[in-house]
Amino acid sequence: MVTVTIDGKQIQVPEGTTVLRAAQSAGIEIPTLCDHPHLTPYGGCRLCLVEVEGARTLQPSCTLPVNNNMVVHTDTKKVKDARSFVLTLIFSERNHFCPYCQVSGGDCELQNAAYNEGMTHWTLQPNWQPYPMDASHPYLIMENNRCILCRRCVRACGELVGNYTLGFEERGARSILVADTGVPLGESSCISCGVCAQVCPTGAIIDRWSAYRGHDEQIDKTQTICVGCSVGCGIEVFTRNNNLVRIDGNWDAEVNEGILCETGRFEPMSNTCDRIVTPLLRKNGSLKAATWDEALAFAADQIKPLKGKGKDGVAAIISTRQPIETIYHFKKLFADELGSDLVTTTEEGAFTQATAAFADELGKSFEGKLADVTAADAFMVLGTDLVKEHQVIGFFVKRVLAKGTKLLVVDSKDTPLADLANKAMKYTKGTAEDYLLALSAAVVKLGLAKGKASVKAEDLDNLANKTGLKSEDYLDAAFVIASNEKPVILYEKSVSPAALKAFAELIGATLVSVKGEANSLAAAQLKLEKSAKVDGHKVVVFAIGDDEITQKMLKDFEKVACKVVISTYASALTAMADVVFPATNWLEQEGHYLNLEGRLQKAVRVITPADEIKTTDATLKALAEKTGAKLDDDWTKEIHKRTAITALAE
Amino acid sequence: MAKPKVSSDWLAGCAGCHMSLLDMDERIAKVLELADLRSSPITDLKEPDATGVDVGVLEGGINNSYNVEVAERMRKRCKILVALGDCAVFGGVPAMRNFFTIEESLKRAYVETESTDDSGKIPSDPELASPQKVQAVSEVVPVDVFVPGCPPDADTIFYVLAELAQGRIPEIKDDKLHWH
Repeated sequence: MVTVTIDGKQIQVPEGTTVLRAAQSAGIEIPTLCDHPHLTPYGGCRLCLVEVEGARTLQPSCTLPVNNNMVVHTDTKKVKDARSFVLTLIFSERNHFCPYCQVSGGDCELQNAAYNEGMTHWTLQPNWQPYPMDASHPYLIMENNRCILCRRCVRACGELVGNYTLGFEERGARSILVADTGVPLGESSCISCGVCAQVCPTGAIIDRWSAYRGHDEQIDKTQTICVGCSVGCGIEVFTRNNNLVRIDGNWDAEVNEGILCETGRFEPMSNTCDRIVTPLLRKNGSLKAATWDEALAFAADQIKPLKGKGKDGVAAIISTRQPIETIYHFKKLFADELGSDLVTTTEEGAFTQATAAFADELGKSFEGKLADVTAADAFMVLGTDLVKEHQVIGFFVKRVLAKGTKLLVVDSKDTPLADLANKAMKYTKGTAEDYLLALSAAVVKLGLAKGKASVKAEDLDNLANKTGLKSEDYLDAAFVIASNEKPVILYEKSVSPAALKAFAELIGATLVSVKGEANSLAAAQLKLEKSAKVDGHKVVVFAIGDDEITQKMLKDFEKVACKVVISTYASALTAMADVVFPATNWLEQEGHYLNLEGRLQKAVRVITPADEIKTTDATLKALAEKTGAKLDDDWTKEIHKRTAITALAE
Repeated sequence: MAKPKVSSDWLAGCAGCHMSLLDMDERIAKVLELADLRSSPITDLKEPDATGVDVGVLEGGINNSYNVEVAERMRKRCKILVALGDCAVFGGVPAMRNFFTIEESLKRAYVETESTDDSGKIPSDPELASPQKVQAVSEVVPVDVFVPGCPPDADTIFYVLAELAQGRIPEIKDDKLHWH
């Protein structure tokens, strides 16, 4: 610890702390623009200049580490004059005329900084040099005229997301923000995660959807979680008059620490599916609007007589995007009370069945946590495309590669992450298990084994042959993954957990499977993992909510005599239904989710649904009442009954 | 003590700041009690007294030679010059045209505008003021009080005029300070 005096306040901070962070920890405000708590200090804007006793000139507090007994002043006339001057220079550089800017009036950090300094005017006028504007992107607008060259977006794109799309061209006042090598943003390597817009302090990068839909102070903010996939990122949802305006990553969320992917940030806004707004009942061959009572009575009449009929009874399929409470009630109603033999999820346990069964067999959890992922010094990504799905995990991997973290990508097909890998291997023959055995032999051959191996070094050539790959490649791969302290193996499915665990033990790695949708793990805990094979079932109930089902499932269940669908949107599934109940979407309902690392999180209701639209849970409860079934709320107990793939957090 | 004399005029603006002045409703009577309003674009007398006034208020930026004349005359005849609104303070919305040449702007305004028929041509009468790059008032004549805002609130304008009428220089800060 070192001692530093800031504005007469003596404080102790760890060595290496910047003057800015030290001041903040003591509650002393220093204005900043280029600084962002989640980004490496850059020292680009000079707004945070402070006076350090003994220093020849004013110093940028964001990049200056404290020295022992340093004396700092943040509020002297010299400092204040410098701030106004810095702001004047920034304003004079480009088009910062507030009346025609989207963020003016509270959302602009540059404007707020000027107000805080009491600037009523500029002493230098702009130089009227127009800069390019890029509106080629479907979600974002990049307006160089509003840019203050703080590089938050560039740093966020690289440091937080690992995408390195954004950068600067030219120097000094000519500097312009570009994508890749100066191509339009919409045609660049941008993956539309939008974190650049989230960190931009001015109107230089804005998102089209929320633009001009109200300033932050006119907007309601609600913290909840994204249910786009099993990662369960923390989000902040901005709404105005019950309408969705914007979704930002929640900087305080432990899971994602502020970052989001396209699925979480933009897709909810670009959804153009038609809502089901009233119950629908098939009459004379076509679906007609009906009352809730009519629709419930019809469904109950179909379901009730089939109680306990097994394969000739009711099949029930629920989306894993639903909250645990709803999935639990669904299971309770159809499996326990009505005795259906086929109660499963839209995922049919594809992502969890093997791993959950393995955990059962072991009698203990065997997977690690996201903290292991963010602390890893080497990754093996096996058979999963983290660029397309579970993108935020992909960001966790990509963003540390520049720091020397090693990456081995293994797949039986081409995968985009392979381009970034230290070693990428595509096995053309054999299975993932064969691959793991050969890799184990390579690890042994290199003398990097930390545990017991089931294969010998001499086996390498033979085993390698089985997968159509060369022994040398295996040796390279083994070195990438096994020569590090904290390797993590990220995988999805189609690989035996036992083989994986044996390999993980051999190299001292942590296993993390990415699973599927938001409540994949919860569905596994509730043992809803059967494959949806239709038999003589007379009725099928789809509690699909705002999810969708595969074409295959749609086709398989077409022949079932009566189809009951609980759905948010109109789709091919609702079109073939006999009765449709309108369901809330994810923002209109609340409930709990177990993310891929077993973290129990609550999604809260952000938007109030229309009167006729009920939560899937409410519809299930109404059906239970009509069919005389009893539901309880003991889901917490139920999810803890089964050994989890990864330990559930309390 | 005689009431301080106040004159106002508008340059390249939209008259919105003067509308905002009227927005102060019955408080305008209070302003007239405190000050002697000599001239303004919305009263009969349009020019400040040749013998001088105490406070001159200018709305709008400088966008042609006539604006320069008006600004210089006001500066010469007043003791305290107030730049009222974003256009007077910064150049404002009219300054958007500074990103183009004068020729481009004139062509857009008189020839290419959707409402112009084929005969559209750029006016070129020697009597007309010649257009120039839009400037803030302070770039042409010294300004004493800057009141930004597009427009400044009626409350702010009332505060500014009331302070000036009572011989104080208003301080624009906190909720009175905004540029939009």
